[in-house]
This record gives sequence, structure tokens and C-alpha cells, in this order.
Amino acid sequence: MARSLLAPLLLAVATAACSGPSSYYYWGSYNDTLYAHYHAPQEREAWIAGLKATILEAEQRSARMPPGIYAEYGYALFEEGDTQNAIAYFKKEQALWPESRFLMEKMIRNAEQRGRQPQPPAVGPAGALERS
Amino acid sequence: MTGPRRRLATLAVAALLGGCVAAPPKPDYDKLLAAAPRSILVVPVVNNTVDVDAASYFLSTIPVPVAERGYYVFPVNLVKRVLEDDGLSDASLVHAADPVRLCALFGADAALYVTIEKWEAKYLLISTQVTVAFTYVIKDGRTGDTLWTEKRLTTYQSDSGGGQGGAAGLIAAIVSAAVTKASPNYMGLARQANAQALGPAGTGVPYGPYRPEYGTDYPRPDKAAGAR
Repeated sequence: MARSLLAPLLLAVATAACSGPSSYYYWGSYNDTLYAHYHAPQEREAWIAGLKATILEAEQRSARMPPGIYAEYGYALFEEGDTQNAIAYFKKEQALWPESRFLMEKMIRNAEQRGRQPQPPAVGPAGALERS
Repeated sequence: MTGPRRRLATLAVAALLGGCVAAPPKPDYDKLLAAAPRSILVVPVVNNTVDVDAASYFLSTIPVPVAERGYYVFPVNLVKRVLEDDGLSDASLVHAADPVRLCALFGADAALYVTIEKWEAKYLLISTQVTVAFTYVIKDGRTGDTLWTEKRLTTYQSDSGGGQGGAAGLIAAIVSAAVTKASPNYMGLARQANAQALGPAGTGVPYGPYRPEYGTDYPRPDKAAGAR
């Protein structure tokens, strides 16, 4: 009985610690994900999964999506060579934030150009991981 | 029109208050309110300390507090990578570049420049003192003018073994100092400094357009002209 109460309580405490009580946007693990990315840039999978998790959580909760996160995720996909999904997320950022329009148009053009080229070997540390 | 008049009113209020308390100097928000940026480009951080990791670690703490104030914050990692691709991987080059051209590259209304002045953990007798210090500057993307600037120094002192006297207290203090020295909580201090620099009314950045409080903390020049 007591244990069944404890688990959600702990979860609530942990969640509160992440987003803060007065947080306007849903940040999820964004902060920690970004820190971990700078701490260990070679761990591309964790970086991409962390961004994706925050986006999905915010969407599922119908919480306010923080600025920049769609674009950050889109760029991570772009670096992996997944230009199609990268473009989809750049467009999401652009639709949500008019201020991002100029930059997102640039990023979309870039990704389209890259997408048309014969698929080069994946750039970035994740590509290196796959090859080894 | 409203600038000088408001300053006069502030002066009058200050004169009234001056009789009882010495108020700290109020920052001048006229330029920031007139520029009314909607979007802020957070550029890579200049690091004036010996800790080589400080710059990128710090960068991970800054998007949240700026966005929470109600501004569109450009994706910091994307921005960092795009600048690197443009040959601007050195943050001091980015800081030295023309802010107007820099902001034009991203379509940003303004740019936030942060410099790390201190990022250190020092033994002081039997305790460890962790210190971080930052300079924050927001520049206008259209004119290059400095719109807002702030400095923050935040410290944390390891537990001095308080309460327990004698040898037990001394050992507790030494252990606490060693633990703090081994893994100083720089990130917590950096977040605290950011919150103090950007947040409080009167010294921080006024609410941006994405917060419902926008325009309620300081009268906006455009609103004052239109609605009143």
C-alpha cells in the first residue's frame, strides 16, 4: 500500500526537479541531454534519443514546446544523413516559431541539396562508429 | 518622447525614496524596450578561465532561462555547428564579429554574448570554495548597440562541519571540502547565476513576447504610444 503511493510520489519529485515548478515550457531532459552531448559528443544515439524523448513527452502532455527543440532534433537527424526527417522537423520549428523562419528556410534548402546528392557516408562521430 | 519623461518620473520617485533608503542604481531599459527583440541568438561562450570544458558546459545552461523569459531562442547547438562550418569555431572571433552581420546570418533580432570570467574550486583552509562568474551582454541585431548588460558572481562554500565540534567537526569539514573539490557543482551554480542575472524584475531581462506577462513589467514604448 505504502509502496504503491511512494512510486508516483518519487516520480513527481523527480519530474518537478527537472522542469521546475515555475517552468513555462516543457523542457523534459533537454538540459541534461545538451550537457551530456557536450560531455561526450561521440554518444550520438543518446543525444538524438534525448531530444526525441523531450519532444514526444511534450506532445503527449500537450505541454508548451520549447523554442529551438524541433530544429535541434532536425539538425541532429541532418547530421546523421536523414535529410527527409530533418526537413520535416525544420518545418515544424518554422510553423511554431515565425522568428525561426529565415534560418529554417536556409536549413531546409541545405538539407534538400544534401538529399539530392548520392548518399555520402554518414558524417560525424556516429558515422565513424557505424564504420568501425 | 516617453524616454525622458519616464526618466524624470523615475528620478522623482527615487528622490522621494531617497529620504528613507538608498536604492541601488536601476538599469536603463530604454534601449532594450525600444528595440523590443522577439528572438535572441545565443552565441558560443568566451572562456577566460583555464577550464577548457567550461564554455560548452555553460552553453547547455543558457537556453532554458532565456526562453523562459519569453523570447524565441535559436537552437544553441545548431547555431554552434553552423558557425563552426562557417569557420567561426573560436568563440572570441564570434564575439568580435559585427553583431549586425552575425544576427543577419540567422535572422535574429538580438544576440546574447556570455563570457566566463571565473569557474574554479579552491581550498581555503579546511573548506572548498567554488566560484563562477559571468558577463552577459545583449546586442541589437539591427544597430549593433548594446541593449543590456549584467555581471554575476556566484559562490558555494563546502560544509564547514558546523554543529559538530572538535575532531568530528574537523573531519566532517575536511571530507566535505574534499568531496566538493573532487566534483564541484559548477552546473548548479551556473544555473543559479543565470536565473539571478536574467530573472529578477529591476535587474533582469524584461518579459519577452511569448510570456503573458509581456509588457506588464515595464511600459513598452509602442504600447504607451498606442493605447494611452
